[in-house]
Amino acid sequence: MKRQIMLVAAGALAFAGTQSAAVSADREVHVAGFGAKSGVVRSFGINTEAVMRAAAEKINKEGGIKLGDGTKGKVVVTFYDDRCKAEEGISVVRRIASTKAVVAIGPTCSNVAEPLFGVLQKKAGDASDTGLQFPIFTDTAIKGGLAKISEWAFRNVPNESQMYQSLFKWVKKENPGYKSVFGGVEEDFAHSRFTWYQVMDKRAQEAGFKVLGRVKWLLNDTNFTTQVRQMKKAKADVISISSHPFTLCGVLKEMKRQRVKYKMLIGLTSSSSLETLRGCSKQAKGIIIPTSFAPVTPAAKEAAAGAAKFNGSADLHSAAAWENMFILKDVIEKTGVMAKGDTVQADRRKIRDGLAALKSTGGLIGGIQRTMEGEAVKPYVYVHAQGKEWKILHDPRK
Amino acid sequence: MSDFTWGLIQIVGVHTILGLSAYVILLTGQVSMAQAGFVAIGAYVAGMLTVLAEWHIIPSMITGGLAAAVLACIVGFPALRVRGLMLVVATIAFGEFVRLFWFNFDYRIAKGDIVVGPEGGEGFKQIRFFPENGWTTQDVAIFIWIVTAIILAALWWMDRSRAGKVLRAVGEDEMAAQSVGINLTVVKVSAFTAGGFIAGIAGALYAHYTTHIEHLNFDILMATFAIAYPILGGLANVWGTLFAAIFIQVIVIEVLRDLGDVRNLMFGALIILVMNFLSHGLFSAQVVRKLKEWTRLGRPSDA
Repeated sequence: MKRQIMLVAAGALAFAGTQSAAVSADREVHVAGFGAKSGVVRSFGINTEAVMRAAAEKINKEGGIKLGDGTKGKVVVTFYDDRCKAEEGISVVRRIASTKAVVAIGPTCSNVAEPLFGVLQKKAGDASDTGLQFPIFTDTAIKGGLAKISEWAFRNVPNESQMYQSLFKWVKKENPGYKSVFGGVEEDFAHSRFTWYQVMDKRAQEAGFKVLGRVKWLLNDTNFTTQVRQMKKAKADVISISSHPFTLCGVLKEMKRQRVKYKMLIGLTSSSSLETLRGCSKQAKGIIIPTSFAPVTPAAKEAAAGAAKFNGSADLHSAAAWENMFILKDVIEKTGVMAKGDTVQADRRKIRDGLAALKSTGGLIGGIQRTMEGEAVKPYVYVHAQGKEWKILHDPRK
Repeated sequence: MSDFTWGLIQIVGVHTILGLSAYVILLTGQVSMAQAGFVAIGAYVAGMLTVLAEWHIIPSMITGGLAAAVLACIVGFPALRVRGLMLVVATIAFGEFVRLFWFNFDYRIAKGDIVVGPEGGEGFKQIRFFPENGWTTQDVAIFIWIVTAIILAALWWMDRSRAGKVLRAVGEDEMAAQSVGINLTVVKVSAFTAGGFIAGIAGALYAHYTTHIEHLNFDILMATFAIAYPILGGLANVWGTLFAAIFIQVIVIEVLRDLGDVRNLMFGALIILVMNFLSHGLFSAQVVRKLKEWTRLGRPSDA
């Protein structure tokens, strides 16, 4: 009899165990990603997706996310291609919002982020505003000041204004003999255009440099002869180029061909990527770029290895997706997200409120401060291209 | 229906109007690549009216359409001097001129604690008439489709009237049309003006459902989409353009989203295939006749 009772008890325990296991196995926290996976800037979306999947794998291996009722939920990542087109970005987010996804990470392009944030509700809880109520936590679109468009928009992108201010000051301090800067700008891309006119140009002058002028080209340009000729004529000490890897490499190759002489080369944050080294490592040798990611800490190395496992690479932009995934994990656990079919909208609101309440978070190369406007103040280092890798030139924190 | 479905319905509606703007001009045998430019004019003018002047969307949209129509009328005259490939080049140049105009256009005013208005290369943000006035995605979709239906009905009626026959006559054979007393100048410029007006309306709607516009939205790709719809759908009637807009936006862009760059290749391949094997489009006069015969089969005969 005693044996029978023991067997029944063991059976009941086993049944209860399978039940609770089944419940936790059924609970999934859907996190959507979106960005450019086709077109000229597709590498950004491919890298973000790889990093998101690597982070999700790590979270799930470590037991998943603790939900509001104490059970554990598995992270499920779905990624959508928006082709870096505003109309498609809006459609993709509406599509994501019609699924079980509680939050989205993206987009790649600032020209998608800007209209997309405009479609979101401006002030959370404003009943008179019918904008979309869905939290977006951007990893890549870097153009300054976009998160303030909506209280549902948050970004974990570096503050370029601060980075270039610090960089130009450091360059001047280290090289007091350098007097002039000449610029090159990829004119038709929101980010590169903004960074030259609103950031590099102004910060260089603030640091005491004389800006001799600038030349322009377009994202799809393949011939830079005229622009580089002007660059050569200027005979500036420092050449500062605000363009993405595709045209940066074209310009650098043309500079080499025309034997342009300069003392220092500065590049755009987005160009501190593998694409630049793949495209023109020889010509880019020595280019200095401020970046918020470098595989210098164990966590950063783990993120880089994870991205490589999923056929991507961790860089300034995609590494932020890793940070976003872990920040979201903490927010979900703190705010008691339930991840049930009937709590999707409530969960989204909890995540929004949780993100808005953050004052600081962890980051791959150091702690990140959060601003009232939903932006991040991230630590950064200066890297320079050396052969097939980016090496740290200077850490302003030291 | 989900917000996403209503959003997709909005996109299809605006792209149908975009296609119809090129359809009118194609009827006269002219290929216009200037439609993106007309869309840009409608988008910026209507956006400025709702954001800066705080007008309602309907008068803003009509004014945007009229502004584009005036420009189209002006473009229509020099366009008469060239035809075929030269007209394509001339209209591309016009489209680029308009795009670069907005690229350099800066007109912002302070509104409360923020500065609003077109800001050159930075674009024109916060065109939020719909959400700020309580329009849901469904309301916007219905509004867009009311406008689309009015334009479809107007063009369908025009197709059946003398005006439509005149446009088609010019498109079939200019010499023959002229020999029977048709004034080519009036017909071609009218087609350009009507096409410009319709494109301006599409632009006004586009600016308001995306909430942010910039010069890059109105590039050669948009002009290509505009003529692709009537070319794919055929010029037999307006329904071909509607069908093509649904096919491209729903199937090629949305359903096949996961295919990445293959989608772009498919779009190009589709146009080449249709132009080679179905030169009158998917809804050619022959197909329409067969469809009519087929739909009559189920009905009792008149005898």
